[in-house]
This record gives sequence, C-alpha cells and structure tokens, in this order.
Amino acid sequence: MICLGNFSAEIEIMKKLLLKKQIDAFRRKVAKTEHPRELVIDLLREIQDRNGWVSDEGVELAAQILGVTPIEVEEVATFYDKIYRQPVGRYPIHICDSICCWSRGGEEIANHLQQQLEIKLGETTTDGLFTLLPTCCLGGCGRAPSMMIGRRFYGNLSLAELDRIIEQLREEAKG
Amino acid sequence: MPTLTIDNRTVTVAEGASVLDAAVELGIVVPHYCYHQALGAVGACRQCAVTILEGSQKGLKMSCLVTAEDGMQVSTCDEESRSFRAQVGEWLMTNHPHDCPVCDEGGECQLQEMTIGSGHGIRRYRGNKRTHTNQDLGPFITQEMNRCIQCYRCVRAYKDYCGGEDFGVMGSRQRVFFGRFKEGPLESDFSGNLIDFCPTGVFTDKTSRFKTRYWDLQQAPSICPHCSLGCATLPGGRYQQLQRVRSGSNRLTNDSFICDRARFGSDWANHPQRPREARIDGEKAEFSVVLSQLEERLQSLVDTYGGETLRLLGSPRASFEANLLLKKLAVRFGAPTPCYDAHPRRAFAARAAGSIPSGQLASLQQLRASDLVLVAGVDPLAEAPVLALALRQVVRAGGRVVVLDPRPVELPCEFEHHSLTQEALLRGLSAPEENELLESLRQQLEAAHHPVLVGGGDLLGGAGLLLLRRFSESCCGDSDCLIFPVLHGPNSYGGGLLEEPGERQRDLLEDLENGKVRALICLEADPAIEHPDPGRMQLALARLDLLAVFDHLPTHSVAAANIFLPTRTLFECGGTYVNNEGRMQAFAPVIEPGIPLEVSGGGGHPLRQFDSGVPGSAPHSAIHLLQQLLKDRQDLFGLRRQIVEEIPCLRDLDRLEAGDSGRRMADCGESLEESRLEIWAQEGELRLLPVMARYGGDQYSRLSQPLASRLQQPCLWIHPLEAAERGFGEGQRVVLRTAVGHFRLSLSCKEKMVRGRVMLPCLPGTPLEVFTPGGLSIPCQLYAEDDNA
Repeated sequence: MICLGNFSAEIEIMKKLLLKKQIDAFRRKVAKTEHPRELVIDLLREIQDRNGWVSDEGVELAAQILGVTPIEVEEVATFYDKIYRQPVGRYPIHICDSICCWSRGGEEIANHLQQQLEIKLGETTTDGLFTLLPTCCLGGCGRAPSMMIGRRFYGNLSLAELDRIIEQLREEAKG
Repeated sequence: MPTLTIDNRTVTVAEGASVLDAAVELGIVVPHYCYHQALGAVGACRQCAVTILEGSQKGLKMSCLVTAEDGMQVSTCDEESRSFRAQVGEWLMTNHPHDCPVCDEGGECQLQEMTIGSGHGIRRYRGNKRTHTNQDLGPFITQEMNRCIQCYRCVRAYKDYCGGEDFGVMGSRQRVFFGRFKEGPLESDFSGNLIDFCPTGVFTDKTSRFKTRYWDLQQAPSICPHCSLGCATLPGGRYQQLQRVRSGSNRLTNDSFICDRARFGSDWANHPQRPREARIDGEKAEFSVVLSQLEERLQSLVDTYGGETLRLLGSPRASFEANLLLKKLAVRFGAPTPCYDAHPRRAFAARAAGSIPSGQLASLQQLRASDLVLVAGVDPLAEAPVLALALRQVVRAGGRVVVLDPRPVELPCEFEHHSLTQEALLRGLSAPEENELLESLRQQLEAAHHPVLVGGGDLLGGAGLLLLRRFSESCCGDSDCLIFPVLHGPNSYGGGLLEEPGERQRDLLEDLENGKVRALICLEADPAIEHPDPGRMQLALARLDLLAVFDHLPTHSVAAANIFLPTRTLFECGGTYVNNEGRMQAFAPVIEPGIPLEVSGGGGHPLRQFDSGVPGSAPHSAIHLLQQLLKDRQDLFGLRRQIVEEIPCLRDLDRLEAGDSGRRMADCGESLEESRLEIWAQEGELRLLPVMARYGGDQYSRLSQPLASRLQQPCLWIHPLEAAERGFGEGQRVVLRTAVGHFRLSLSCKEKMVRGRVMLPCLPGTPLEVFTPGGLSIPCQLYAEDDNA
C-alpha cells in the first residue's frame, strides 16, 4: 500500500498516476464487481496510458483500488510483456522472434531496426522515441514477419516498409 | 483398494492414491519436484513420467497425476520414459548454477538426488544462464533465485497452504521469480516452511547458514516444546550446539509444517547464561556432592518435621517420565502429590482436558478434515500456531471456522469472529440453551458432518473446558462433535494426569504461605513468574528453608535456589511429551550436553588452554537425577515398561519410538464433576486481561536470539472506541494501574477486540512478567501519562 504517513502527499502521487475521475470510475466498477481482481489489466492499462509505464506506485495504487495485495497485482503486471514495469520510449516496438516470423526473415528485421535506431534489443533511443523489445508471438503468424508498435500491429514487413514506418513516427513526434 | 504392478512388482494402495504414491510404497524412486505429499500434485515439472502399459489411459504419463487402478501395469524403466525423464532433467538444469560446493542445501538437495535419478549427467546447453537479483527476505531466510527450477512448491506452501499474503510468483517463462513485491521480512508466521519445501537451495535457513554440512549434522526426531500441540520436528546440531530445526512429518499432528516460533526459537538451548553447573547456596559444587547433600537435607527435614512439610512442583516443560519420577520421589519422602503447574487454574485446565474421554478428542488431522470448527477462547497464532494452519485447511476445503474470543484474533483464512468477554463466554457455555448465539451454533454443529470444538484452557479454565465438553455432547447429530483442547505447555496434559485425583484446584502458594511448608523441589519450573501472583510467590519462596531447583533455563527460581542441579534440554536426552489431545510422543537426544564450541571458543578456533572441567561433568537429564535420588538404575526403556505396568492406561508408552506418529493414551482420566463458575458480574468497569504474546510470550522464545526481531514490544491493547471515550488515541502513552503495580505503556488500538477490556501481551523477562496469561481479568485503571506525573 502507498504509505507515506502523509495523506496529502499520497493524494498527490495518486493524481500524478491517474485522474481523480478515473480513480472514482474504477472504484465504482470495483463496488459492482464480484471479483475486482478481474479489473487489474484494465486498470494497469489506464495507468500505463497516462504515464507511459507502470511504476511501483502504480502497482500499489491499483492494489489499493482493487482491494488486493500489491503482490497480486504485480504477479499479473509482470506476466504480460505489454505492461511496462520500466520506463519505455514513446513508441515501444515489439518485434516477434517466434518461429513463423523467424522463418520469414524476422531476424533480418530485428537486425535492421537495431542498426537504424542504433540501439540493442531492450534499449531505448537517446531521444526517448523508440524502445526495442523482442516478443514471442503477436498472433500474426499468417502475416509474418510482424511487429507491434504501441497497440498497432504491422505484418508482412519488408526493410523498406520498416524504414518508412520509423520515418513516419519520427515526423509524427516532431509535429 | 487397487492392486497394481510396477516394474513387475505388485502393490496394493489406498483408494485414490496416485501411481507415484504406489511407486514410493514399493521403494521405487521416480524423480519428482512439484509433487509433495502435503501439497498434492500439479503435474508442472514433468519429471515423474512413467509408461502405463495396462490401464484406462496408456502410454507416457505423469505418475503424480494418474490415479492407481486395479490391474494396472506400469513401467518406470522402459526406454521411452527413461529418456523422457533424462531430457526433463536436462531442461530443468539448463539454468541451474553449478554452485553446489557453496550451496547450503548441498548434501540434502532433492535436485541433486533426483537429477542423478533422472539419468541426466552432462550439460549440452552452451548459452548464458538466466540470472536474477535476489531480495532480502528478513532475518530467517536467504534467497538465491538463480538456483530456481520453477516447481512452484514455495508459493503453494507459503501462499496456498499457509495463507501468506506477501509472497508470490512474478514474470513468465525464463523470468519467473518467486519473492515479495518489494524487499523486506516475510510476514507470515510460517515463513520457515519455504526452507523445507524448496527442493533445492533457493530458500535456505539464514540462521544456520554455513554452520554444518548435512553429512556432519547430528539429527534426531523430536517434539516441539513451544506449545501444547506436540508438532514433530527434526532438530540438528553439532559440537554441542543446537543449530537448526526442520519440520518432522506426522500426518496426525502437524503434517509437514511447523511455525516460525518452533523453527527459529530453539537457540535457548545454546544460551550463554544457561546454568550448567550444580550449586549449593550459590557455590559451585560437583553434581554428585550436590545430589547427596540434597538427599541428606531432605531426609533430615522429613525426619524432623514430617513429609507434609515438603512440596514438589513438576512442570509442563519437563518430560512425562521425569514428572512421574517426581511423584515417586514425593512418595518416598512421604510428601503430598506434586503439583504439575505453578498456575493453579492452568493445572486444573490440564486435568479437565485429561478427563475428556479419548474417543471425544480430535487430532489435528481430524480437525483439518472438519467442515465446521467452533473455536472458543483460543488465539491460535499466539497459543498454538499450527492450529491456525489446520483451520485454514478447513476453510480451503469449503468448511467454516467460527471464533468466540475477546481477543483481536487473526487467522490466515476467512472466519467469523464473535467478540465477547471471557465472562460472557463462560456464562454462555454454562447455559447454552439460553444464549441465542450458542444455540444457533449448536444447531449448525449438529447439522455438520464432522464438527469440532476447539477450547482454550487458558481462557476457559478447567471449569470452562468441562462446560465445553457438555456443550459438545449436546451438539452430536449424526456424527460426534469432537473436542480439541488447547493447553499451554508441551506436557501440560501429561502433568494433568499425574495430579492428585479428587482434589479441587490446588494452589501451591496457599500451602507455602500457611507456614507449614519448609522445602520445595522444582522440576524445570519457575514458580516465581509462572504463578499468577508472582510477588507473593517470590516472598513465599524466600521464606523456605530449602528451595531445590532442577532446570536448564536461567530463571528466577534458579537464581533463588539453595540447591541447584542443571538438567539437560529435550535436545540432549530422551523422553516423552503428552500433547493436548493425549498423544504420547517420544523425543530422542540430538546433541551431547556441554558448552557449545561456538560459546567456549568464542566463535573462533576451539580452546587451546586446558580447563578444569572433567569429562562427564556436563548436566544429566532430569530423569537420571531423579532416578539417582530414587536409587533406580533402569534405562529409559526399562523405566517406560515399569510405568506401563503401574499405570495401565499408558499401555503404549513402551512401544513409542521417536519419529513415529505417537500413540493416544487410553482413558484413565478422572471424571471431574462440573463446578461452579468462578465468574461474577463485572460490567461497567474497565478490566485487564493478560494474554499470550505471539512472540516472546514463552521463556524459550525470549532466550532465542534469531527471534529477537520478532519479539512483541510491550504495549496495551484497547478497543478504539474505548480509547476514544477516554480521550486516548493510537500510540498514546498511558499509565496502567493495577494491584501489582503501575506500568507505563503505549496503547495499541485493536478494532476486533471486545469492549470494556484492555489486554496486555505477557512478556517474561521484562517488567511485565508479573502478569501471566491463564487467569481471569483483573481490575485496572488507565491514566494519560502526563496526568499521573
């Protein structure tokens, strides 16, 4: 639990993580749900959308709202690699390294991205835009090789296509 | 009862047993990790594969998941299952470090044994191993996650079985991590079971780390002395030092679990201040000299003044055999039958428990299988922690637990708590038909399939236990309602059996104060603080001509003794305890008596100087000392046989072996008539109820260094509304005024406790030791600290 011994400081942290109306909305949902635990992903997603990632305080806040222990939230948060428990870039790129993508040039895609962005897998670019994360399957085997940026899926990738997507995102970030 | 054939050998097993159980029965080793007898099968590790040749499902199967069937044919040594197991062994070992030489588990590691057993020998994997950053889990347990093979036993033991809420499994795939959300001491009172349940060296005992290799360790089956449940333990030590305690296995009592008080609270045996030399009037002397002096003095006292002037006091700490010999000593000197608890109300509670017929008493195993348990006047985590675990198993299996207790009872499971005062509870039990709550509970118990009543001797007293027995008889519907009495010491029940029958509650203090008594012999008892009125008791002890004490703890009575004889601890001699349900259980010596090398050598090299100690001058067991006084030369076995001849209801005593599941004694308890209740109307005033502290409430915990960080700090519990009425708040410093003195304490608000009472967790070894649990509430007054000053 968040325990700073200071109620106003606690509120400040909560406000940073989620808006009061978001927290209230979740509290209402919890009151109506038989197993509040089932809301854990929705809640973590909401925290992540607002903050870019889920900090320890975020896990504690979720536990407090759901009325469970922090470890119970953490067990779910760390199970899924799309919940970020460390800060990531603005565009987290999940590259599939599973067998279908591998057989259709997934390794090449991964290498090309590492060269273009000048980072290794697991790292974030210095401008804070991109984080490269290997993932084991995106469920897009029929459109291999594939990747996911944020919540958007990209399939049938080629190197040229890849460069275009990165360039587009860089432009988007500038604007 | 299916009969099946494994590797051409036939075995008959119980209905519902797995193929793995059947193989174990035959002594065939099928390697396995995730399966544990107490936790059941999950089929996660894939290590226990066998081939089913004949049966409803054929082919390669996980033996822990397949139920044994009649006529089944199983092979464990065919090529398919053998190579499968070797392959699984290789997978499980890909990330495991080759650090066995520096791992504390080495030599007693299930992973070592079963990897060899699986047939895997040489690693082919050349990649990097996954590594983890470990957490600091507090003073008891060291974590080394790199050694983990993801069998999930730890989390199943800690969270599922024991109900711990601060430990879990994080991550997925290779990254699976077992630990806490953030670093910090594990909060469960059963955290130590991680050590026993981890099949490899991820969780090891921090308190005994790197002290002794398994093959150098002296171990013997024993019984835990911390409460009355008699859990099976497996203590180990070396060089006269008791170094660790593991859980033993007894399915009738603790199954495979013990509490942290049992596991980390054995260091008292090594206490530097443990009295180890015999003394006459404060002067050290050889024990044989002291013993003959004692005999002479006793003889001359009895010759001059008569046997009536001698009193003897046994204790719930001493073994049954020693307590029985004390009774013989009383006969020899013509003294009255010894008391077996300095606390008269506790002694009477033990007698009352002993008077319940054996067939009406529940074992912990029966309690775990119950569907409705009514707990009357017990705070399990303080008085009998493993009972709390058993109650959790009731709830896990869909049963219910209802607690009637004034204290803020906590349990590692869901339960109904009705908070009512001790007096209200006793009054209710004396006329349950007039009490709405008890009447409704009676109906529920009657309708239950396996109802059990748990009764606390400390809170209810003997009279209350007798009322509970009557209540249980009124609750018997289709099946009997069994009783599970909770007493306070490991041998309270045994002491109760030896008390003088017929007499009502006896108070040793009254005998001492009326001036007729000139000598007192204490056997591993400390009346100076165990009696409910320690101040008066200490004065009375000081007036005696002769106070002879046999003990192994540095107590007040030892310091005050005219004649002192050191005794061995239960780790250094054999003996028997009788637990709360009348189960006789033997314990065996683990280490030699004597000063631990770590104490005499200061932790460094063994002593280089010669000292004057004579070999053989180490303490003797209380049994041996009493036998010397009685001129009895039998060994323990002969002694037990003689006891059986003299007391027929103990007929199985001579068949006991340390490490077995113990034997229930036959009925030989006296039949006690219900007595008038010792309660009176006490409404409207604030009263103090001394209660048992969870850690530090017994002598043993207080003297055990590893428990230091967990010891209860002095405080006073109060209901928040009661505090608010008086203008007090949480943490407020107050003065508690009672008949035995004034105490400055801070308040701790407990919402779940009863109103109209304040409660004091009793702490021997602190100024609060003048309070002893086991009595009724006493009048008190509360002031803010400033007002009083």
